[in-house]
Amino acid sequence: MSARAATEPGRDPQTRGCVTPELQQEIEQFLYHESRILDERKFEEWYQLLADDLHYFMPTRYNRLKREADKEFSGPTEAAFFDEDKKSIAQRIRRLNTGMAWAEDPPSRTRHTVSNVVIHPRGNGEYEVDCYYLLYRSRLEREVEFFVGMRHDVLRRNSSPAGFQLARRTIILDQTVLLARNLSFFF
Amino acid sequence: MKTDLTSNAGGQMSAEALRALVDEKAGSLDPRIYHDREIYELELERIFARSWLYLCHESQLKKPGDFFATYMAEDPVLVVRQKDGSLRAFLNQCRHRGMRICRADCGNARAFTCSYHGWGYDIAGNLVSVPHEEDGYRNELDKSKWAPLQVPRIDTYHGLVFGTWNENAPSFHDYLGDMLWYMDGYFDRTAGGTEVIGGMHRWVLKCNWKFAAEQFCSDMYHADFSHLSALIAQLPEGVDPSMGRLPTIGKQFSSRNGHGTGFFTEVTSTTSQLNGPVAAAWYQGVHRQEAIRRVGEPRGSQIFGGHMTVFPTFSFLPGIQTLRVWHPRGPGEIEVWAWALVDRDAPFEVKEAVRLGVLRTFSAGGIFEQDDGENWLEIQKVLRGHMARRQRLNVTMGLGHATTEHPTMPGKLNNVYGEEAARGFYRQWAQMISGEI
Repeated sequence: MSARAATEPGRDPQTRGCVTPELQQEIEQFLYHESRILDERKFEEWYQLLADDLHYFMPTRYNRLKREADKEFSGPTEAAFFDEDKKSIAQRIRRLNTGMAWAEDPPSRTRHTVSNVVIHPRGNGEYEVDCYYLLYRSRLEREVEFFVGMRHDVLRRNSSPAGFQLARRTIILDQTVLLARNLSFFF
Repeated sequence: MKTDLTSNAGGQMSAEALRALVDEKAGSLDPRIYHDREIYELELERIFARSWLYLCHESQLKKPGDFFATYMAEDPVLVVRQKDGSLRAFLNQCRHRGMRICRADCGNARAFTCSYHGWGYDIAGNLVSVPHEEDGYRNELDKSKWAPLQVPRIDTYHGLVFGTWNENAPSFHDYLGDMLWYMDGYFDRTAGGTEVIGGMHRWVLKCNWKFAAEQFCSDMYHADFSHLSALIAQLPEGVDPSMGRLPTIGKQFSSRNGHGTGFFTEVTSTTSQLNGPVAAAWYQGVHRQEAIRRVGEPRGSQIFGGHMTVFPTFSFLPGIQTLRVWHPRGPGEIEVWAWALVDRDAPFEVKEAVRLGVLRTFSAGGIFEQDDGENWLEIQKVLRGHMARRQRLNVTMGLGHATTEHPTMPGKLNNVYGEEAARGFYRQWAQMISGEI
């Protein structure tokens, strides 16, 4: 995947004009709601927000010379930190609920912060939603990790109380060597 | 070959004291081996600078000029495909002021130029151009004497590339010894050979390298407990969690050079389905038939679900197909560099299934791997305690029950649930660190 494709999916700049302040607020509120339930470890509730055709993807990243900048991110059939569908997410949640998922028992304390939210309507009730994220994790006595990067989501409007479903999430992390013991949580 | 004990690294402990850190006959360890900076500096010199270390897989370097920037312990090394198809590896260090010559992780290059003063190297690692050679150096610099240090010995085994700084090391095949028989069963299964899935997982664990290397060498014991949540989560909905237990029948092999492997000899769905049904169908079908033809039984179909380490830091899980090296970063930290290994001739769907299976089970986000890190990191923190470091640790499982009389499997064997290979791993470590070998 090229750096450009990973950080700026191609889209029509004209569609920005369709984003009303109301839509902006509605989508931001959805993102805040989602962050909140993840941080409160309500993973079943979060699971209800996922579309059946979910693709949840986090490529690996490399230091490349500028002339090879198009190879900064792993491609779609290469090593990824996450490359999940709804079924494999269910498996991860099932594991957390066994009472023996030692990497999350006792659980981590997370705080998902999102900002710089930019919305591009796709039509048909779908919205490309980009944001910057800052994810803080504190674990056990004094473990602290920060994850900073960008997310590209596709939200799909539906009739649920939350108003949307998450259909796509691509997570760009601003690290090459992951400076963390694991990724035992969700972005 | 004896080690020179007058070296300047560490140097506070006598050879006898170093050797006594491990008592493989009684099955005990001194936990300072995981914690002390002095011992770590000795490891860099006496173990990592003298052993065969994993560099990369051949499939990462397809064309001349393809390079991969890796490490041999803490030493940065460039591995480069040459125009004649051979591989060269050299220290990623300019001989002028010691700057890192190449700061990219991988790519293709026609030459490497140091970003400090512009010394230029060809892809073989020869110093070929020096700015101000005429007016500054007055044409008095002998460029042939100032090339980065070459890795003098490189060997390739079924696509796996190893190197050593030790010109007097045995050949890689001799270094493997009896381990070769087991590894042929893991790596020589198909005529087309293997390749790694593009990209890799790299992450940091704040623990000593030996926790990881020893566990992959010897420890089937932890799997049933540390990883029970993942084994249960992978079961189909509604299946009794007791079905997630691992088999009980199998063997563990301990090499005289510190390598080790363990495996089951009874098939269950738990161990054969970790990468899902598509991968399982391939490995139990076409792949297995070819493996039986090539390596025969029991290696073709009766050994599976295993773990292995080539001393000191190369590990692989046959069947699950995660391949990794544990790069030490001080006594209390490692970088894990991990790849997924697939049959080159496997259909695309099988490679995809293995790629997804590996990243979902054994990677930084993998539901199995997460729990390993948790264990190793907490041990490392406990060892900050003075009293904690004075408690010898227990490595006695199966002590005194090894045999060497198996009809087909060579070398020293014990039960799959045991610590024979751990004792062999630490014996090799203690012999090298104390200068005995």
